[in-house]
Amino acid sequence: MPDPIYLDHSATTPIRSEVLEAMLPFFGPRFGNPSSTHRWGREARVALDEARERLARALGASADEICFTSGGTESDNLALLGAWRALRKSRPAVVSTPIEHKAVLAAIHEIEAEGGTARFVDVGTDGRVNPASFTAALSDDVALCSVMWVNNEIGTVQDIAALAGTAKSRGALFHTDGVQALGKVAIDLKSAPVDYLSISGHKVGAPKGIGALFVRRGAPITPLLYGGSQDRGRRPGTENVAMSVGLARAVELAVTERETESARLERLRDALEAALLAKIPDAVVHGSGAPRAPHILNISVPGTDSESMLMALDLQGVACSAGSACQSGSIDPSHVLTAIRVPHELATASVRFSLGSLSTDAHVTRVAELFPALIAKARRLSGLVAD
Amino acid sequence: MSRVLVAMSGGVDSSVAAALLVEQGYDVVGATMKLTCHGDELPDRPCCSLDSVNDARRVCDQLGIPHYVLNLEKAFGRDVMDDFAREYSRGRTPIPCVRCNTFTKFRDLVAKADAIDATFVATGHYARVLDGRLYRGLDPAKDQSYFLWGLRRDVLSRLLLPVGALSKAETRQRAAQLGLDLVANKAESQDICFVPDGDHVRVIAQRLGPDDPSLQPGPFVLANGRVVGHHDGFARFTVGQRRGLPGGFGEAMFVVAIEPERGAVVIGPRQALLGKTVFASELNWLEAPPAPGDGVLGQVRHRAVATSATVISVSADRLELAFTDAVSAISPGQSIVLYGGSQVLGGGTIDRAPRALPVAAA
Repeated sequence: MPDPIYLDHSATTPIRSEVLEAMLPFFGPRFGNPSSTHRWGREARVALDEARERLARALGASADEICFTSGGTESDNLALLGAWRALRKSRPAVVSTPIEHKAVLAAIHEIEAEGGTARFVDVGTDGRVNPASFTAALSDDVALCSVMWVNNEIGTVQDIAALAGTAKSRGALFHTDGVQALGKVAIDLKSAPVDYLSISGHKVGAPKGIGALFVRRGAPITPLLYGGSQDRGRRPGTENVAMSVGLARAVELAVTERETESARLERLRDALEAALLAKIPDAVVHGSGAPRAPHILNISVPGTDSESMLMALDLQGVACSAGSACQSGSIDPSHVLTAIRVPHELATASVRFSLGSLSTDAHVTRVAELFPALIAKARRLSGLVAD
Repeated sequence: MSRVLVAMSGGVDSSVAAALLVEQGYDVVGATMKLTCHGDELPDRPCCSLDSVNDARRVCDQLGIPHYVLNLEKAFGRDVMDDFAREYSRGRTPIPCVRCNTFTKFRDLVAKADAIDATFVATGHYARVLDGRLYRGLDPAKDQSYFLWGLRRDVLSRLLLPVGALSKAETRQRAAQLGLDLVANKAESQDICFVPDGDHVRVIAQRLGPDDPSLQPGPFVLANGRVVGHHDGFARFTVGQRRGLPGGFGEAMFVVAIEPERGAVVIGPRQALLGKTVFASELNWLEAPPAPGDGVLGQVRHRAVATSATVISVSADRLELAFTDAVSAISPGQSIVLYGGSQVLGGGTIDRAPRALPVAAA
């Protein structure tokens, strides 16, 4: 088999060598607890503070606005539940979209279970939030809006500045899940009027298990955990110094390289998309009518099914994904595609290629050959196309 | 190297099946079928639980082969679980394992095998395929050929059953030898996988609603029509069942028939269970269909002994079979499987089994 091809960077990315190098001392002699008063503690505390500052600077934030978490899910939960619980008495409602990550949708489910109300705004078939529907949802009982910046399945980019501006004008706070946006779209928290932003390390070359939540100064946040006073009490528990350092390094690199890497990925993605559409004219590219992040190509071919395609691709050495994997590892139909009204037979036929640091021209060339061949075979089997 | 897709439940049989195929040099791909939702499962069940998926994945990792989870939940719900509930609601006793084999494993799973260019499909069933013919497993205590009569013949030619020539003890021994410690001593799955607590009435109520006529009170009657008590839903009863019946007859009483039209459960003494004739439909033949007058062995239940019978008539969708000696508790909904020696010739679903003796009035 030729070398395997990894086209699942939206699932996770390899740890960058620069990140690993930055972390290594903290798995060795610099093992101290940042809360300790002795030299080991001071050393760790300095490293943590420096990581927080560097991460803040890379995003246009201040150090005290950065809260380290265990990753995107915790950041989303902390933002949603932390803000809503602080404001629930005067503003019991939250507004969001049906195409959010499960970490947001499930947190909203919990808010409802705790007596809050949820409003979901319309999303167009192109994957973009309907601004009129968003505005209409913003009555004065809304504590918080949450709209993801870049969708993890189809790559659509929302107009976060405009949506956040609208929310602010109605007195609501605004959270965005920026996990897939980081390193792909320009994020400047000095100008973007968001109150909370979630990021995750392992999508940008840092390890799994580290992320951060930006909490704008003055924005309320009730902690999810109770314990020590770490991170101003927002996130008790001994800090993960090594991985915080790794996250800061990874985000710095992602931000620095954003323009060149995005241009490179967009060129590769567009080449792959064009090649596949040329060979499979009735293929449907999801989210293609809207601004799209440069690294995601989500495509459905009538008469095929995601599960079989993913197996066949994997057995040929090509790793990609579809929908959202459930805990058993099987694939459930994507709630995102369902929400943007993709017909069931296309929603169950989707394959998501997500490009990143490992992607090359050679990968695109090979997949542009292989994928149409596998599609042709799958369609012969399904009887849609005569042999 | 031929590719084979192995259905892996996470149990010892399919794990050893996969290991043996790896040993034999096949290009083995493991797959676990997700058939029911893992959200509300009972803990510690041997089959179809999330842990089973994880066990299968770990066994595959140990064998150095890929593993996938196939979501066949929707088709399984339609083809197997809905039918299961409907059959009980019709006063019959279904065998979901037969339909799971016929539809889920050897139709839907085979479609996945086609999608990945797998020449063969394999399972951990105790049965054997020799030259495209299906035979009983060598271990009489474990033989599962009774459940496999519904296979398509073209699938049979692609089917590998690596543990069919082993005894259960040998399979466990092989698992231990192969270092498959995770599964070597795993408990046997006995129940229907989607009825892990044995409460099939719950499944019927879930799928057909608690108001289904099969779950409503009705009479226990004798063959002469005399009402001798009341039951709380005929779906709770199966022909041959003894538990839960009224007493005071001076001899053991059994369910001899279920009459869904009037919600009645007919009970009678042991000899009232005897019958010689079986009418069946939904036929499938793994050999040329038999002809009237052919002598075969007929088996009416998984644990029953196959006994001598004669084909009376056979058409595309109807079989009449006469046993030489009367057979006990032939139940509509169960399978009648025809054997020639140890070879499975085909089978069908039992529709009707008239009793041999007039039922004595009690």
